[in-house]
Amino acid sequence: MTTLTAPVPRVRLARFRDLTLVPVIVILLVVGAFLDPTFMTAGNLTNVLQQQAAISLLVLAEAMILIAGKFDLSLESTVGTAPAIAVMLVIPVTAGGFGLGLPGALVIPLALLVGAAIGAFNGFLIVRFKLSAFIVTLAMLIIVHGFLQGPTEGKTLFQLPDSILYLGSATWLGLPAAIWIAGALFAAGIFGLGYLRLGRALYAIGGNADAARAAGIRVDRVLYGVFILGGTLAALAGILETGRLGAIGNNQGVGWIFMVFAAAVIGGVSMDGGKGTILGALTGVLVIGLVQNILTLIGVSGFWQPVIYGGIILIALMISRIAGGKAQD
Amino acid sequence: MKFGSAVAAAALLAVVTACGSGTTTAAGEGGGKVGIDHPRADSDFWNSYIKYVPQMASELKVDLMPPTNSQNDVAKLVNNVQALVGKGAKVIVMAPQDTGAIANTLQQLENKKIPVVTVDTRPDKGKVYMVVRADNRAYGTKACEFLGEKLGGKGKVVQLQGSLGSINGRDRSEAFLECMKSKYPGITVFSEPTEWEGSKAASMLQTRLEQNPDIKGIYMHAGGVHLAPTLQVLKQKGLLVPPSDPKHIFVVSNDGIPQEFEAIRKGDIDATVSQPADLYAKYALFYAKAAMEGKTFKPGPTDHDSTIIQLPNGLEDQLPAPLVTKDNVDDKSLWGNQVK
Repeated sequence: MTTLTAPVPRVRLARFRDLTLVPVIVILLVVGAFLDPTFMTAGNLTNVLQQQAAISLLVLAEAMILIAGKFDLSLESTVGTAPAIAVMLVIPVTAGGFGLGLPGALVIPLALLVGAAIGAFNGFLIVRFKLSAFIVTLAMLIIVHGFLQGPTEGKTLFQLPDSILYLGSATWLGLPAAIWIAGALFAAGIFGLGYLRLGRALYAIGGNADAARAAGIRVDRVLYGVFILGGTLAALAGILETGRLGAIGNNQGVGWIFMVFAAAVIGGVSMDGGKGTILGALTGVLVIGLVQNILTLIGVSGFWQPVIYGGIILIALMISRIAGGKAQD
Repeated sequence: MKFGSAVAAAALLAVVTACGSGTTTAAGEGGGKVGIDHPRADSDFWNSYIKYVPQMASELKVDLMPPTNSQNDVAKLVNNVQALVGKGAKVIVMAPQDTGAIANTLQQLENKKIPVVTVDTRPDKGKVYMVVRADNRAYGTKACEFLGEKLGGKGKVVQLQGSLGSINGRDRSEAFLECMKSKYPGITVFSEPTEWEGSKAASMLQTRLEQNPDIKGIYMHAGGVHLAPTLQVLKQKGLLVPPSDPKHIFVVSNDGIPQEFEAIRKGDIDATVSQPADLYAKYALFYAKAAMEGKTFKPGPTDHDSTIIQLPNGLEDQLPAPLVTKDNVDDKSLWGNQVK
């Protein structure tokens, strides 16, 4: 019993630190409600969650990888490439496919497999070859996107099997399926990294890999696992996005990685590894989604949106710094 | 695969130009090579254009060098043009997506007496032999007139803008707004800066429809990017209904790709402005050949339903861009009906 009670207060304190963005979210909700009557409606808030579901899975993946002390920039390319390759294995040549004619039901497993394979390859180069994660995944960002542009020859894939459109467009119990999926995965992530041995191992590795190894954690194996999981989550994000958009364009996912890092970092995840939580990262995604929504609702001129958008992210960063009381890194 | 063929092409080119450089100058009239740079490889419209280029080159008997691709990066375009000139290009065809930053390159080409044909965009500065371009302002105006008429001059419409950093995006946007303001002052326009991104388009349209459920018209600046997300949003909202239904939202697109035609036939969207990918390729090479032969052109109407206008730095052939509706969607001459 004594061993169990000891860590409880520490966990609670850490929770408060994760929630430094909550005041920002409250401010955004109040300001949004004040600026536009549509903002606080259930329909609009559901839309915000649906619009953020896909990118939130990337944030979940990136948060885990960052906590383990590594980096993955290539996630954004997987968002487009994994579903595209899977779709091309299924659809006929006339629709832009490879003409293999695999059954349509296989699209989702295939896409997840492609994502996992990309993650495994990243892991191989980073864990096995000890290459810099930043540079490896930067190269992979370019290569993986090339594997979308090459086989499709730049064309948008319009004719998609129904199976890949389902998850991103279905409604379960009155809410879009994508929200349930992202919610469930975040719940699993919060629980896993907070309470499971394997999840806690990510913090140990990100804090000090040598010490973790000395403590008996199989560092290489865990890191492999994190990269593979990251790639798989990115592929799932791609599946949700494909369902939402109804086609796979050549720039699907392109440019997301900046938003992903912004969300993770304002949510309190350290770029140096070992610090931050999944719940924090989730609040980061929500802030970004709410800001985008408000800017659209009030119709800020397109010429000025980037300035206001970037400015709000900076302010969120400052508020979370003040509320958190700790230097960010 | 692409890389491999590019290397092979470069190797081949080195051999060809090494043998040919002595003869091209002597050949005189009609001789010489046309160097062409493609602006990007990731959009449906440009990919169609890229496919038309070799086809039109053989029809017009233009000696085309293996094309380069600057992937939407003006720095790459500058390098590619230098490489093409180095390999013996006598005329350059390019489509600078950044119309300002290309000025120096145009100056250098002028000094070397190499004529330039630009496609789709009009460089701000620097001499051009001919700009081959559809009037992007006319796209916006046509879309505005179509929606204005369908809505009877009142109600709310959304325009899904392209990138405001590109002249074509700005032209469509400004012309649409100006026309709405002057001809249909009863219509409220919401402008969504989607940056040519499907993801942003879907989110912005969904949010705007939540806020204004009485929106009755949509103008999409690029069908290749905006079509599928728009249809998906409308479908989820239960608004994808035939024009006879009072809930119908009138959608005008821009590009003229086969998928838009398909959507028009199904009644999902109502019209599109067909941006002539085939004519872009054809007349780019036509003027490239004419430049090599030393021909000159004057402002005024042409023999192919277009008008040449005078620019401070050259001439511009403004190609026609027809509005495609249910009535003429099966017209065989539309390029969207010719691609598979």
